[in-house]
Amino acid sequence: MWLRSASFVLDKRLQQQEPSSYDPRDPAQLPPPFPSVNPMDQNPNPNHGISAYYQTRAEHHAVVTSDWLAQAQAAVGRDAAPSSGWPFAAASSSSAARTGSVGVGGKPFSVIDEFNYWRKKPDLAEAVAAIMALAAVIRSSEATTMMELEIELKKASDTLKSWDTTSISLSAGCDLFMRYVTRTSALEYEDFDAAKLRLIERGEKFGEISLKARRTIAMLGQDFIFDGCTILVHGFSRVVLEVLKLAASNRKLFRVLCTEGRPDRTGLRFSNELAALGVPVKLLIDSAVAYTIDEVDMVFVGADGVVESGGIINMMGTYQIALVAHSMNKPVYVAAESYKFARLYPLDQKDLAAALRPIDFGVPIPLGVEVETSARDYTPPQYLTLLFTDLGVLTPSVVSDELIQLYL
Amino acid sequence: MAPKKGHRFSSSEDPEELARVPLQAILLADSFATKFRPITLERPKVLLPLVNAPMIDYTLAWLESVGVEEAFVFCCAHSQQVKDYLNKSQWMKQPGTFTVQPIESHDSIGAGDALRVIYNLGVIRGDFVLVSGDTVSNMSLKEALQEHKERRKKDPLAVMTMVIKHSKPSSLTHQTRLGNDEILMAIDPDTKELLYYEDKTDQSQRFITLDKMLLASTPTLHLHNDKQLYRFPILMRKRLIPVVLFLEILKDCYIDICSPEVLSLFTDNFDYQHLRRHFVKGLLVDDLMGYKIFTHEIHSSYAARIDNFRSYDTISKDIIQRWTYPMVPDVQYFGNCSQMKLDRLGIYKAPEVDQSRTAQIRAFSLIGNGTTIGDHSVISYSVIGQSCSIGRNVSIQGSYIWDNVIIEDDCKLSHALVCDGVHMRYTHTHMLSVKFSFIIFCSKAYMMQKAISASVVNDFFLVDLIAWVPELLMVEVGQKIVIPAYSKVSLLPQPSKQDSDEELEYADANSGVVESPYRKPPRKRVFCILLIKVGISGVGYIWSTTEGGHEEEWRQSIAPIPAEKLMEFSLSAHTDLGVSNQDVNSLPASGELQLGSEGTGFDDGEDYKDSADFEKELEATFQRALAGVNPDNVILEINSLRLSYNMAHADCAGSLFYSIMKSALSAPFSSNRELLLNTGKELSRWKDLLKNYLKTIDEEIEVLLKFEEMCLETTKEFAPLFSAILNHLYEKDILSEDAILSWAEEKEGADESDKIFVKQSEPFLKLSTYKENNLKTLCAG
Amino acid sequence: MPDVQALVNDFVLKLKRRKIEGSHASARHTAELLRSVISHQRMPYMNQAGALIDAVKAVGEQLIAANHVELAVGNIVRRVLHIIREEDLSSTATGIEGLGISAGSDDDDEGQREDRPALSAAALAAAARSTLRAPSLQTLLEDIPDSAAAPQPPSSGGDSEGKSKSADKNLRSRKLKHDVIEAINELIQDIDTCHEQISEQAVEHIHQNEVILTLGRSRTVKEFLCAAKEKNRSFRVFVAEGAPRYQGHVLAKELVGKGIQTTVITDSAVFAMISRVNMVIVGSHAIMANGGVIAPVGINMVALAAQRHAVPFVVVAGSHKLCPLYPHNPEVLLNDLKNPSDLMDFGEFSDCMDFGSHGGSPLLHVVNPAFDYVPPKLVSLFITDTGGHNPSYMYRLIADYYSADDLVVKRSYLLSVLLMTGTLGIRINLKKLRTAEENFANSIGCWCNKPVEAPSSKTLAFIVQI
Repeated sequence: MWLRSASFVLDKRLQQQEPSSYDPRDPAQLPPPFPSVNPMDQNPNPNHGISAYYQTRAEHHAVVTSDWLAQAQAAVGRDAAPSSGWPFAAASSSSAARTGSVGVGGKPFSVIDEFNYWRKKPDLAEAVAAIMALAAVIRSSEATTMMELEIELKKASDTLKSWDTTSISLSAGCDLFMRYVTRTSALEYEDFDAAKLRLIERGEKFGEISLKARRTIAMLGQDFIFDGCTILVHGFSRVVLEVLKLAASNRKLFRVLCTEGRPDRTGLRFSNELAALGVPVKLLIDSAVAYTIDEVDMVFVGADGVVESGGIINMMGTYQIALVAHSMNKPVYVAAESYKFARLYPLDQKDLAAALRPIDFGVPIPLGVEVETSARDYTPPQYLTLLFTDLGVLTPSVVSDELIQLYL
Repeated sequence: MAPKKGHRFSSSEDPEELARVPLQAILLADSFATKFRPITLERPKVLLPLVNAPMIDYTLAWLESVGVEEAFVFCCAHSQQVKDYLNKSQWMKQPGTFTVQPIESHDSIGAGDALRVIYNLGVIRGDFVLVSGDTVSNMSLKEALQEHKERRKKDPLAVMTMVIKHSKPSSLTHQTRLGNDEILMAIDPDTKELLYYEDKTDQSQRFITLDKMLLASTPTLHLHNDKQLYRFPILMRKRLIPVVLFLEILKDCYIDICSPEVLSLFTDNFDYQHLRRHFVKGLLVDDLMGYKIFTHEIHSSYAARIDNFRSYDTISKDIIQRWTYPMVPDVQYFGNCSQMKLDRLGIYKAPEVDQSRTAQIRAFSLIGNGTTIGDHSVISYSVIGQSCSIGRNVSIQGSYIWDNVIIEDDCKLSHALVCDGVHMRYTHTHMLSVKFSFIIFCSKAYMMQKAISASVVNDFFLVDLIAWVPELLMVEVGQKIVIPAYSKVSLLPQPSKQDSDEELEYADANSGVVESPYRKPPRKRVFCILLIKVGISGVGYIWSTTEGGHEEEWRQSIAPIPAEKLMEFSLSAHTDLGVSNQDVNSLPASGELQLGSEGTGFDDGEDYKDSADFEKELEATFQRALAGVNPDNVILEINSLRLSYNMAHADCAGSLFYSIMKSALSAPFSSNRELLLNTGKELSRWKDLLKNYLKTIDEEIEVLLKFEEMCLETTKEFAPLFSAILNHLYEKDILSEDAILSWAEEKEGADESDKIFVKQSEPFLKLSTYKENNLKTLCAG
Repeated sequence: MPDVQALVNDFVLKLKRRKIEGSHASARHTAELLRSVISHQRMPYMNQAGALIDAVKAVGEQLIAANHVELAVGNIVRRVLHIIREEDLSSTATGIEGLGISAGSDDDDEGQREDRPALSAAALAAAARSTLRAPSLQTLLEDIPDSAAAPQPPSSGGDSEGKSKSADKNLRSRKLKHDVIEAINELIQDIDTCHEQISEQAVEHIHQNEVILTLGRSRTVKEFLCAAKEKNRSFRVFVAEGAPRYQGHVLAKELVGKGIQTTVITDSAVFAMISRVNMVIVGSHAIMANGGVIAPVGINMVALAAQRHAVPFVVVAGSHKLCPLYPHNPEVLLNDLKNPSDLMDFGEFSDCMDFGSHGGSPLLHVVNPAFDYVPPKLVSLFITDTGGHNPSYMYRLIADYYSADDLVVKRSYLLSVLLMTGTLGIRINLKKLRTAEENFANSIGCWCNKPVEAPSSKTLAFIVQI
């Protein structure tokens, strides 16, 4: 099953390896995402090995960097057919989601499908998708009182959360919206329709709020980039990209080191983006971080989620980079939108639902050998210097405050 | 309000009132010199940009910071420009007590005139600070003023206090950092009084001629590059006082605190023009009025004056290295200049600099606002003005580039000064007339070298040019031309050689710059000059280097001193060390002159001595001795003279003897007999003095030769008496007989003409030889 | 108000020329200046707070630009802005009680596009209050960012008064101004008395027979120690002289004058002595939002020494030194390179700086930085006039001293856009500028809850002017 993961296909495109590992599907020149996406969309609970969260990411990035794929293949000398296949894949998959939703979920409307629909949008974060979905729920609900509406929403958000237990920002988004609903309802008891309209409208607006959040973060973050500095980036974070973009457009002179970011090659995509901006960029394999850290001035990472301790949960490898940076007294900056703040308090790495992620070792794994497929790790706050959020530049200790303010 | 206050106080007779008059300052916004030609042909020097602000801003800011309340800016050349600038600058309209007031004059040809003008205006009421508009300083005048006032109370003749500063010239080149003339100052260590001041202005004159009073201080002349400090008594104003001679360790900051008398002094003697050359020296020389000048030495704080291109370079670098704090670019001390950001390694960058990622800005550079820098360009130790555009692969090193300059790809500038609106290009493509600019085509990168100073064409001047020689709209340097080092390229023809300095000053002083000097070369010649000199596609002039020739140029250009020069220096330094050492060793044990052990006499290339000069000096000394100065002093003076001229004892003895004989001759005599008597008297009188120098037989022989020579040439009178006097000398045992004998032996080989005197003194010689033989036989027996 | 302008210019010049230095002096002057600015500001018919804020920002911008290093100036400006907002808010709140729904209606014809028929006064007040806090998760979903009303609760308040022709309008207007000036007076009071308030806590921190080490001279530290002495604690003080300004010598004199057992050591001896020290107390130039300290040069070394020997490192500072900014690239941006002649006599070394030889490049460089940056993890305790705080707690203090929308003290977006995006190059393209401006406006929108207005006209004007 993991063979059919989107990223696996990416890997394929990159290093042409023996087709042995996926002979069965070779004659059919279909772009692989079909099998990988469709079934996943139909069954509401994704209890297969792949964390849906990561799958979306993979697709998004695939869409974002189809041009890069083209380059890569040109370099490899393959035909560019599959790369052209990609956007199509994404589109079709989303459409498939629509149709599939109608087909499978007997009821005319399902949060999951709505969510999946939004999820497919390249520049929409999961949380946003979730909130969009919930807004859609409100619109389609025929509740007449605030209370009913809230109950309905609660149910919807629970289904959403249960649908992908691993995605932190999903749950965070749901919580945030629910919180907002209750507060508004508390405020505006007098007129239900008004409140409802307002909720919907806010929900719809949330998309652009998130975009704005990114811009704010970019504004704040780029101040920290000074001329002639070297930045180490791990993982593909849209926010970090935004920050660097802004800095580059402000004529800041800096260079970037990208970790390769196995297994889904985030570094390659990121470096591609930066190269397009004309920023001098250098790729490292993940294990070369300690080797290069001394020429690094600061470490920039994104975050899947920011937890109550002020630590972050991010792509696998962030923790060790933070450790290295800390031991070399290099600042570690995290760029994360505030809707990624989640009410979690992980005590150690194993303390959170592991998001599984297939890893392609290029060759078949011998029997009886276990593979660590967890896709992300938890970086404790003491290894982080500052968080750039749309709430401002925060020290890790502020995060818990915010969450407390919100939920108490 | 200021004048009223002034009047109120001046009415009171209280001596304290000086203290309460608002502190005034005179700022000479015109260097009455031509060092910055041709730039200063259209722009007043004080408005030339230094690091990122006009020079005058630094001076005004300093005046303001030291609590000057009224500053009178005297503008002469381009006075209109200066006034316009002041009017739109912050200085006029800024709050607080600091008022700036321009004073205009068109016919001043020097500081003297300026001060006279100001005196006639009668605006100066108390002590005032006198600076020129190109002074950069951050010193505080408080104690200097205090001292000055104290002194004034004690002795009203102390009219002026000069600010001086320690500054070591580089050990190798023996020239000041600022590349200006060596200054020779004699300062009384106790009273800080300035006793003697000399800046060797013209290189042609080898010797500083001193008035008799200071004669004894001339020894320093040949030591003028020494870093040592000599203390020895010199005879001065008829009294013997210990004097410290600072040689070149001290820099004159050209900041003076003057009393009102100074102005009146200037008005009294109309010939005073140059502050130092005429005024200071004048005061020092004449002891009738007995005015005194004192000095105030500053240590940590900074003060310097931009006098030539070298000092422009040096001071710019000092500013960038923040010695002039708070007058540094990022402090935006003068409101008008743009906010600079100080980066690592002393790189100053304006907010909007469009720098390509591949361009490098190296340490200690400043990039002005709105400047663009292309790929792979390298800039180091340079100052780039505002809204310049610098192309690709340009390398700029140690250069000063003013505003709106366009430098196209692949140009290489090292140690260049490029003025406003210059357009430099590498490829030889034709360029239509760019207004207000001159164009340089250089087909070889290394063509742009050393000081190229161009000039922006102002409106009025442009018009005039068109009326004059239309081709001169722009200076172009043809692509075949290598611009020689130290050359200046300009739109304006160089004033023809025969103009004396004075005339130039006139011209500079005229506000209508387009007057005399450049009309002088006939247009025809102008054009061909420009063809030959500047090349086929070129229009304009390469200014030939100034009369000083390269001697001057390497001193005063922005470019660092070429390696070979340095080599020369190190060599000469060594040789001279050798020389001087042995001459120190040859000092008489009894020499009253306490030289520091490191008394390394060093003279740069002036090794030839004309003893005639020496003789004159010595004779003069001797005359004074006759006038009845006590002999010790005479000895002292002669010693010092001898040192100064690097004379051996022999020469000394010879010329001393000469002067003695002359004195003998001077006395009236009718017959040889009398003359002989006189000579006898003189000789016996000066025997001891002479003896001082007759340490060995050589000196005695020297004396004899001298005597002989005299008899042959100058004073024929002695010819008949030769043997008699010789005898006399022997009797008075001034000369030992071996000396005489050896002299005779020397003469053996000489031709007849020389032998006359030997013959003449045959008998004497015989006698002596006979005696000798007797002695020998006696000894034998 | 020309006279005020004159005052402002004068002060700006003083700052530029470093005539006013030291956080205390500059803070005080700033506060007084702003007070006079406000008192001369004539109040408009409506939206007075807005007018005041603009006036203060206008001045504040100049002041901050005048001397970037003197962070206290910026702090005070922001404090005053915060004060205005608070005062206005309170007055608005009182105002709103009276006119409940009308306020909402006002908001409507104020032109808010999305339909909020009856947003109650309470909601408005809540929104208003929220603007004083930093944007938080709660307000994330509310429509502060892109609406015009909530961002300017003062305005809405003012307008509502304006429309509901309440007779006591001008009275209230005077009241607002009066309150603000009162508050500023208090602020000045605080600035002056911060030393006392800090030194009151001395006894809790300095114990019998302790050995205290300090570097350089900070008035606050002096007061602190003296206060402990007056409470007849007996303790010894090591004073590191604090090259190159050697203020330590002065401090030693003063302490001895107070009868405190004092030992003067060189800065380089700090490591040697630290093992005998019980506590390090130093003053500071500014405290940054992350708890980092900008302090006279040399203190970072002391902090490291203290950490090495686990000696508590205490920083005493008045709250006017508390700066809501983060130190990006502190060693360059927030530092001031003083005159090298503090280090060495120019005359003695001038021969090493002869540019005539050595190919024109100076061989001798003398660098004299004024400040050190001490990272928060080296600081054990801050003692401000509001008590002792942990470095990680600083953000909280900042949150209640400053309002988030003042962090960027700029009036015109355009200017700031140009500053931010630096597109004032030779070639400037309209589109880029537009987008840049929108970017900025939006993000500032998030920040200062300002309405985002269409940039086109201004941009065009700007282009023309270019």
